Amino acid sequence: MSMESTRSDKSAKRSFNNNRNSASSNSNSNPSNKKKKTSQKTLGVAWGSNSRSSSRSSFSNSPFSNFGSYMVEKNRKLQNQFEAEASTSSHGGSGSVKPIFDGVSIFVDGFTVPSSQELRGYMLKHGGRFENYFSRRRVTHIICSNLPDSKIKNLRSFSRGLPVVKPAWILESVAVNKLLSWVPFQLDQLANNQPKLSSFFTLKRSSVSNSASTHAPCQVNPEAEDSSLKVGTSGDTYFSEVSEPFEHRKQISRESDDLVNENSNASLVEETAGSSGKPCEVAMGIPSNIDAEDESSVKNDLQSSHYQPTALVSSNCINNQNMKGSPSSMVSEPSNQSHSTLGDPNFVENYFKNSRLHFIGTWRNRYRKRFHSLSNGFNCTSSNIKASPLKTAIMHVDMDCFFVSVVIRNHPELLDKPVAVCHSDNTKGTAEISSANYPARDYGIKAGMFVRNAKALCPHLVIFPYNFEAYEEVADQFYNVLHKHGNKVQAVSCDEAFLDVTDSEGDPQLLASKIRKEIFETTRCTASVGIAGNMLMARLATRTAKPDGQCYIPPERVDDYLSQLPIKALPGIGHVLEEKLKKQNVWTCGQLRMISKDSLQKDFGLKTGEMLWNYSRGVDNRLVGLIQESKSVGAEVNWGVRFKDLKDAQNFLSNLCKEVSLRLQGCGVEGRTFTLKIKKRRKDAEEPIKYMGHGDCENLSHSTTVPVATDDVEVLQRITKQLFGSFHLDVKEIRGVGLQVSRLESTENSKQGLERNSLKSWLASASARTEELCKNSHVAKESSNRGCEGEGDETLGQLCGNSVGLSIQMDSNTSNGAACLNEVSVLPPLCHLDMGVLKSLPPELFSELNEIYGGKLVDLIAKNKGKTENINHTLSAYSHEKIEGAMKEGQAARLSSMVFQNEIPVENKAEQHIAKEVLAVSGAESFVPASGLKKTDLIPSSLSQVDTSVLQQLPEELKVDILEHLPAHRMQVFSPNVLLDPTEIPLEALGTKTAENNSGSKDFVLDNNLWVGIPPQWVDKFKVSNCLILNILAEMYYKSGSTGNLSPILQRISSVSLHQLDAFQDGWDEAMYILCELLKQYIKLKIELDIEEIYVCFRLLRRFAMKSELFIQVYNIVSPYLQALVGENYGGNLHMSLKD
Amino acid sequence: MDLKDNQSPQGETARILVEFLELAITSIVFLKGVYPSGAFERRRYMNLVVQRARHPQLRDYIHSAVFGLLPFIQKGMVERAAVIFFNTDGIPVERFVFKLAVNLSYGSKVEEADLEFSLRSFLIKLSVSESLTKVLPRNYRWEITTYFRSLPEASANKDVEQWIPTDTRQWEQPPLLTPIKSMSSEPLCVQLYIEHPSLSEPKPQNGEV
Repeated sequence: MSMESTRSDKSAKRSFNNNRNSASSNSNSNPSNKKKKTSQKTLGVAWGSNSRSSSRSSFSNSPFSNFGSYMVEKNRKLQNQFEAEASTSSHGGSGSVKPIFDGVSIFVDGFTVPSSQELRGYMLKHGGRFENYFSRRRVTHIICSNLPDSKIKNLRSFSRGLPVVKPAWILESVAVNKLLSWVPFQLDQLANNQPKLSSFFTLKRSSVSNSASTHAPCQVNPEAEDSSLKVGTSGDTYFSEVSEPFEHRKQISRESDDLVNENSNASLVEETAGSSGKPCEVAMGIPSNIDAEDESSVKNDLQSSHYQPTALVSSNCINNQNMKGSPSSMVSEPSNQSHSTLGDPNFVENYFKNSRLHFIGTWRNRYRKRFHSLSNGFNCTSSNIKASPLKTAIMHVDMDCFFVSVVIRNHPELLDKPVAVCHSDNTKGTAEISSANYPARDYGIKAGMFVRNAKALCPHLVIFPYNFEAYEEVADQFYNVLHKHGNKVQAVSCDEAFLDVTDSEGDPQLLASKIRKEIFETTRCTASVGIAGNMLMARLATRTAKPDGQCYIPPERVDDYLSQLPIKALPGIGHVLEEKLKKQNVWTCGQLRMISKDSLQKDFGLKTGEMLWNYSRGVDNRLVGLIQESKSVGAEVNWGVRFKDLKDAQNFLSNLCKEVSLRLQGCGVEGRTFTLKIKKRRKDAEEPIKYMGHGDCENLSHSTTVPVATDDVEVLQRITKQLFGSFHLDVKEIRGVGLQVSRLESTENSKQGLERNSLKSWLASASARTEELCKNSHVAKESSNRGCEGEGDETLGQLCGNSVGLSIQMDSNTSNGAACLNEVSVLPPLCHLDMGVLKSLPPELFSELNEIYGGKLVDLIAKNKGKTENINHTLSAYSHEKIEGAMKEGQAARLSSMVFQNEIPVENKAEQHIAKEVLAVSGAESFVPASGLKKTDLIPSSLSQVDTSVLQQLPEELKVDILEHLPAHRMQVFSPNVLLDPTEIPLEALGTKTAENNSGSKDFVLDNNLWVGIPPQWVDKFKVSNCLILNILAEMYYKSGSTGNLSPILQRISSVSLHQLDAFQDGWDEAMYILCELLKQYIKLKIELDIEEIYVCFRLLRRFAMKSELFIQVYNIVSPYLQALVGENYGGNLHMSLKD
Repeated sequence: MDLKDNQSPQGETARILVEFLELAITSIVFLKGVYPSGAFERRRYMNLVVQRARHPQLRDYIHSAVFGLLPFIQKGMVERAAVIFFNTDGIPVERFVFKLAVNLSYGSKVEEADLEFSLRSFLIKLSVSESLTKVLPRNYRWEITTYFRSLPEASANKDVEQWIPTDTRQWEQPPLLTPIKSMSSEPLCVQLYIEHPSLSEPKPQNGEV
């Protein structure tokens, strides 16, 4: 079959698969697209082999002429699929807001957490795009968690200049509901790679204003604003990001002279955006706050410019809120005039102000706060209750018609008149009575009755409005009394509580009357008390006790009491349950007892069944004091909800969110799941009888879960808006709205996570940082100004001093200063430096300053601090033991001496970096001897002179660099460290010392531990060997990333042309011998656990053997050994056929 | 081992391993095209496309076989688990061998995610190792065979009864090994390799390729 035919063959199969996928996509609505590629191939092949004939027949009419057109078609289909899904899954958001990821198109590369499918889901939901195949044109961001080495090295060819970002970027953007700058989320591998010292320095020296101009985009760009605030960490990456379009920058820096003009900032943005490419996309949507920033940047006051963004944000919030609030005047009179959402922009607030249910609902939190310690103390002792064999005595205290009696306690004349409480005494009388006193109840007035009807029953009924302050006051008094008499109090409601009085001495009945008396005296309201052996019975007893009485049900009377009790009286039995039971002809608890537990559980479910069975027998195992944690927090308004248009509804929702947010904060919780409930007027429903009531409604609800728990108003408002949009309702039909938040997490737990995410905290921390740095700034500023003066370019310097945002300012300032000072070298005198500031400087900054001062800072610090304090926390653990000996101190000094050289060649940057780290240690630990400064040798003369602890802390690349530099020097100073006690030196790094000293002699391979240590011993040996191939091996060890595995090393060697290696004659035997030994030891090491590695190595070796005589011999020698060992361990031979 | 099964690190390791084995064996069976590809459905596991047998019997066989191993893996008794493809004479043609080594003295908590991540690489490698395998003769069959370090006492555990001595024949010559993947971590080492009959193996009569 020709090439052509197999291709179309495949595409036919592919299209078959596609169809199959789309057919089954109902069950699996997320057909994977990227990963599909590999497995699909196998799928296709397997399928094809089974039905070759069919595919052959389909080939002739295959719709695709070639692979390219097939891919085009596939991409088109995938896009359609995505769009179709997007239109269904995204929240409508009523189309008013731009989705977060508008204009963002991601391509997910490789394994990510969360998976590419989840990321795709987020993109679907928030208006982004998801590309299955990479395309420079369509993709805007590459998302991946990890990149292989090769891609990192060839980053540009992989990413084509697109940002490579961690998936966290998407998650956090979703969490804060705006597109964050991707810069802080750049892939770690890249971020770590990028800030090479060299780029850092060249950047600085190129022009003073560089940093100023390059940072301008983050300042202006609203999305990236936060990133620029964070620059303390992301600054490096920023530098490197910008360092690419280097040529352009000089031009900019010239242009940036104009920057003193206030408006020129914008032009700068354009320039920079044009040159650096990336930030321009984000920077386009510049809001008006540039001006504000501009102004502030012109001001010389550093601090105020830091705070500017904060102010901006908050003012934005205020604006937003104002905007959300209806543009009409904000009427805030709590009158009865504005009854519906129509008339009153503060409806929600007033609604809850007037809601009794709301009072009761939120009261608990008040209580919990107030009596927190008390109830806690109780909880500790509650375990005793169980243990105590004593008969328990539970008291249930309930205020008598609380809402009425509190109101009329100041009207003694009304004591025996019928009184009711109602939120309004409107003539229409469609308000509901919320509570009525006993005289009124005698007329048949009940809670929930319309005032109109109540008035009909009792014309002289007196109606009072709520008095919530009084309720609070009385409730507090009530609980004060209860807590006085027992520390085991469980609050049920503001007027109702359980007390466990088992431990109290004396008759519980006497205690009860005492409590009742006290309550009456303090509150002038009456309370009733029920006493029994458990909470259930106590509560039932209160029923009998009311009003203003008390009742004790001893255990022996429980059965009698219950047998005639109507089931409705049991707590937990409501209308529905009652109806169901009545259908079974169960009216009283006595009858309920006849039903077996099993059938109860069968009919009503496990829990309810068990509850019924228990309660009908007066069994209640609950303990007093177990306050249930609320599972959800929410607010619901079902009265007076009438919207004229969408704006009304949105306004209402945002107020509701404020309320819910307050409640969440009141409870100290944050929630993840948000449920919006809507009551929608039924089609045929008429205007309800109750004035502004909701009438006959459909109940609708939608919910969503966000990744990060929140109690933030703005987040709530946004989520609610989205949810609301998903209803697609006519707002005029809405009669009730409720927002409920569940999956609660306590604020303390989630605080940390959230804090990190929120913009405000960023701002806060940034400004905190700068504040700290501010003190130092005078040093830097001074120096930078001087430096600029020296250059005669003051305005430029000033500009960069001020326009660069926040903490990066310090960096740039000092670095500018550093650059300038190198030329002008005017320093503020050492004695002017503030010790506190110096100590708190980040290590990089410190070493930089130190460099400027020619190392005197170290002395200063050392003098001031003595030997106990460490600057560098990471190294502090090591530094104590390591730098004890005078010998070592000398070494450290030598290392640190590198820093003091002012003209360090660029290629030594890496070493310089170490030196800085060492400096931190040595600076803290030891006084650097002056003689140390005289040394000019930049490289320690041998590995053993490098402080191993420091070495280990270094990033991998640096380590490699250093180690590569070592051997040359080592030859000169062969063993200067004979004096060193070998035991002092950590084995893993320096275990080769003995071998090293007599390298070159043949017998050194006889020890059996070539692979011991990090780096393995052979590396050092090979390095000093005079065989080229061995040297190469050692070199490759470091280049391959020092993994300790042989295969990467060999892999690298395969790129070297091997036949050249055979060109040497001396030491051939030695090289062969030592290579064989190396391999044998390696086999021994790996045979049991990693046959794969050995296999890879030997296949590589075999490949070498084809080109190199040496390797043929080595291979022939080691091969039998290998096969023998494999046979021993695996009962077979390694398959090393020469086919490939 | 004094600890409860599911709480000990070995229990945890074994659970993950068994889950992995089920997947890997299904992948092998899929890879070898024993059944038409319609017998499998694509699923996602650890963010990876894997195959899952659709046919309940096939699924059950693999599932029960590997889950039957759970207690033994936990005790470190299982040395190798092999998927053997053999011809009508019962002579193996190809064997996929999982060599297992559970660290019995490993005491700390098993990082489930890490372990799964390592095992994941097996599945990736497996899906691209078709070229390493041999084309199977017609009318072949396959089975899962396990090699124990020591024979479990039948009385000790009734799980043992599920396992019957295999009547698959052995090769006379040591086989050729082709390693596919190795993974070694503190709690667990797994190696997967393919065994093929050695070239000097007497050829069976009916057409081995």
